Amino acid sequence: MRYRVRHVTTYEYGESVSICHNEARLSPLATPTQRPLARRITIEPAPTVLVEDRDYFGNTVHFFSLEEVHSRLTVIADAEIELSPKRPPDFSRSPPWERVRDRVRRDRDPEALRAFEFSLEAPGARRLPELVEYAAQSLVPGRPLLEAVHELTRRIHADFRYLPGSTHVGTALEEIVATRQGVCQDFAHLALAALRAFGIPALYVSGYVYNQRVGDEGRAQVPDASHAWFSVWCPDHGYVDFDPTNGSVPEDEHVTLARGRDYSDVSPLRGVLLGGGRQLVRVAVDVQRL
Amino acid sequence: MDARTSENGALGRVGFGLPERWTYETPLAEIDEALATSGEVRPPFAAFFAALRNVSPEELSRRFDRARRIIRENGVTYNVYGDPRGMDRPWQLDPLPLVVDGAEWAALERGLVQRARLLDAVLADLYGPRRTLASGLLPAELVLSHPGYLRPLCGFRPAEGVHLHSYGVDIARGTDRRFYVVDDRTQAPSGAGYALENRIVIARMLAQPFRDCRVERLAPFFQALRDGLAGLSPRRDNPRVVLLTPGPYNETYCEHAYLARYLGYTLVEGGDLTVRDRVVYLKTLGGLERIDVILRRLDDGYCDPLCLRPDSLLGVPGLVHAVRAGSVVVANALGSGVLETPALPAFLPRLCRELLGEELKLPSIRTFYCGEPESLAYVIEHLSDLVIHSAWPGPASGEAVFGGELGQSERAELVAKIRHRPGAWVARERPALSTVPVYDGHSLKPRHFGLRAFLARRGDEYVVMPGGLTRFASSRDSLVVSMQRGGGSKDTWVLSSGEPSSVTLLHPPGLPIAIVRSGADLPSRVADNLFWIGRHVERADGTCRLIRSLLLRAAEEEGERSPEIGALVRALGADFEQASGIPSRPGAPLDVGLASVLFSDERHSPKHEIALGYRAASRVRDRISMDTWRVLSHLHLEVERAARRKAFDTSDALELSFSLLLGFSAFSGLVMENMTHGPGWRFADMGRRIERAAFMVRLIRSTLLEVASSGSLDAVLDVADSTITYRSRYFGTLAPEPVLDLLITDETNPRSIAYQLVALKEHVGQLPRARSTPLLSAESKTIVEALSVVRLADLERIARADAHGHRGELAALLGHLERALPTFAEQITLSYLAHVQPSVLVEGVA
Repeated sequence: MRYRVRHVTTYEYGESVSICHNEARLSPLATPTQRPLARRITIEPAPTVLVEDRDYFGNTVHFFSLEEVHSRLTVIADAEIELSPKRPPDFSRSPPWERVRDRVRRDRDPEALRAFEFSLEAPGARRLPELVEYAAQSLVPGRPLLEAVHELTRRIHADFRYLPGSTHVGTALEEIVATRQGVCQDFAHLALAALRAFGIPALYVSGYVYNQRVGDEGRAQVPDASHAWFSVWCPDHGYVDFDPTNGSVPEDEHVTLARGRDYSDVSPLRGVLLGGGRQLVRVAVDVQRL
Repeated sequence: MDARTSENGALGRVGFGLPERWTYETPLAEIDEALATSGEVRPPFAAFFAALRNVSPEELSRRFDRARRIIRENGVTYNVYGDPRGMDRPWQLDPLPLVVDGAEWAALERGLVQRARLLDAVLADLYGPRRTLASGLLPAELVLSHPGYLRPLCGFRPAEGVHLHSYGVDIARGTDRRFYVVDDRTQAPSGAGYALENRIVIARMLAQPFRDCRVERLAPFFQALRDGLAGLSPRRDNPRVVLLTPGPYNETYCEHAYLARYLGYTLVEGGDLTVRDRVVYLKTLGGLERIDVILRRLDDGYCDPLCLRPDSLLGVPGLVHAVRAGSVVVANALGSGVLETPALPAFLPRLCRELLGEELKLPSIRTFYCGEPESLAYVIEHLSDLVIHSAWPGPASGEAVFGGELGQSERAELVAKIRHRPGAWVARERPALSTVPVYDGHSLKPRHFGLRAFLARRGDEYVVMPGGLTRFASSRDSLVVSMQRGGGSKDTWVLSSGEPSSVTLLHPPGLPIAIVRSGADLPSRVADNLFWIGRHVERADGTCRLIRSLLLRAAEEEGERSPEIGALVRALGADFEQASGIPSRPGAPLDVGLASVLFSDERHSPKHEIALGYRAASRVRDRISMDTWRVLSHLHLEVERAARRKAFDTSDALELSFSLLLGFSAFSGLVMENMTHGPGWRFADMGRRIERAAFMVRLIRSTLLEVASSGSLDAVLDVADSTITYRSRYFGTLAPEPVLDLLITDETNPRSIAYQLVALKEHVGQLPRARSTPLLSAESKTIVEALSVVRLADLERIARADAHGHRGELAALLGHLERALPTFAEQITLSYLAHVQPSVLVEGVA
């Protein structure tokens, strides 16, 4: 399946900005099931510096600076991606979750060491007693890891209300748990905090999801936007994606941008600027199936 | 040679090497640095006391008082959070040094150097191949959960492969007389500057004993640090090194300022630096100046809000990218804080064998990392003998817990927490500390102590400071050695076996010094603060002058208020007309309202302006003379103290205003006479001139614009401090024309508007950028135009009033100045100071 994604971020500043430095993680990752065919970052006005680099987690990151006075900044990320459908493994035949936990705790081969890092509590997904209790219902002793995680994913989908705009980047997990509502980032963090409390390695994924089109104009049922979900490491299967917002197991409609411990590792665009005053940020995402 | 029992049962000894009339109480059960258990003075201290034989306790007290005065006057402070004295707590220093034998020190030195090499190797591995994690030499959880493990720096090899350039080690001496390490400071160790300051004070105070004892000098250490940092520069000739401080609110800011001055580095805050094209620059009055090496005192997580902690804007946005591009070297390398965990010592013996192929020479305090199953079992069994720490620094880590001090339930609670996540906990044995004699003004008392040793990297080697910062506990029983907890510090003397080196950084002998006069490299932030110090102090001065005149006049008046007083009250400005309640409550006593204006919290009140001036000055302590600082802090204290007093009558207010005005004069005099007339001074003076001109404009507008209130000519002259000049020129005859001449157009009257404008014109002409271009800058144009308007003013016409008694020409002239002055201030800010604004973090909405 092929997709074309356009992600446009526009900043408008009340006062002029004399200099800004930014990091963008807007280029789709290459994975065994995802092949970026083309990708381009367009920045207006033209940056003084634009450097492409790979971060600690293997994501493509663009560092760019605007060193001349400006009052508006537009970042356009275009990409074409080919997804080969993932065949989810038979969850019931995955190893008991305790075995996975023990393997990453004990073994220090590169794969286990890397996975171990994702089993540790991260600043954006702190362990909460309520969450531990919540997850324990799925993580019963001896249960196959992927089966347990799949159930947890569906329970989050059933128990929490998806309410766009109900939270922002800084909303604490406690609040999500208390109000039982949030957005995709929150649900991913929620699942990560719960799994890691049990020592299970799981990472945060930022990306896009394709929305089914309706009508002649091919409009999406809901406006396209960035999406987030999580991925659990399971020996022999590698990283397996789960989408708690949709209660689903991603197959060929999820485009992965970047992976990390939590949102702060992969935030699509972040900048520090001098001046600016009041600012208006607009984000528009469009995902087309080719 | 007699021994007698002191009041608390401890033995005090005279003799055995202690000079006549000195007594030292020390319990024999404890191990002491000066006295052996036999009661004899140990050799290094014996040498010291022998050298001290001509100094009686009284003489020492006298010298010590003087030394303490020097410390206060030098403004050596240690900021203690939550202390009401806050930023001004003086540094506590004991007159007697810790004396260490040369041979013993040499052994310690070898251990320290090995430890530095080892820690540097561990850092290189953690940010490189991570073999220590793969092989289990270090627990992965300990490293990967450490907030100081900075992932953006992984895979980056710093200049020469060196991470650790400056290293601090907290050492204690056990009761077995062995040295062991309590803590490692690997990212931005503080204290070397305090050690130096202690040395300078004590060596002056005990000059003869210092010479007689042949004490190792500290300067070669700082020379090594400086050479080492210069050697790292990507540009070989004339590298520019700066010292990066978190700013004046940091507890050791004073040390940063001191060290920067001593090492000859510019002291900068994050906002002073900017990254362009992945190169770091210092924002100076002359423009951007490239920086090669940054010696940082900022914790590494705070160094770059873009790539590291986003919640702090103390750092330099883009710094990580500049570092990775290799255009600038940061010392210590970003990420070196990952070794600051109390768990580290548990793994050093093995790491040393594996990485260096050597046995670890210097032992550490016994440490158990609970992440290891055997250690966990041991810790839980021996909890009451251990001190429990969080494995990682940070706000959540809390204080160390003494297992022995826990009750039943607290103990169970702690055990549960440890069992829940063992990898987050570390236990250490309680340190058994030796004591050292401390002089309390009468006799010597034993106190537990710790020593912070310092190492600097130069090329391939580590150089140890011969000495260090000795700190002692505040009371006899306390084992806590901390400046935060009220302990004190000592100089540390390492006795030389040979002839101590005579290197000094203060006056490098034989080195030609390049003569520098431009001062264009002054950081813009410093200029900005100096500009505002000038403005705030001058504003306070103007208001005080008005209040003093009003108080003097109000005292003479009864009942009806004269128009003259009304006019002067207007000159105070709209803020105060309301604040003091003067116009709205005609019956209320004028003086009460006026007194309250002095220290109201309103904008523009003297108290408020002094506080702002003081704050601006505290941000540029390294640029302000000791005397100027004292004058400002005195003004600040005085007005704060007055504000706290409940009863405050007219005579108190008068006295206060006289006293404050005297302080302002002292400040002005110091600025004029004691500051080098470079750009820094020009900004301070421009600040004053702008505000003085603005004050005169306001005063003239409120008193002389309407003829009806011309009864106030006398008062205006008084407020403007021009009465004497006027009388000497015109005798008693008061007339508007000569008054206006004296206050507006007379360029020889230091209070006239013209005088201020002439001074401002001179200043802008001398600023760095103005001198490099033949064109007039915007600010020059503004000031030249204002000056011409004043110079071309026809006195006869501006003094003339229309039928309603209104002086229209004067109003026009004042109007022009009221626009020009703020415009000028804004233009100066734009041209030179604009980049002194804070950064903002933005996050794209996902």
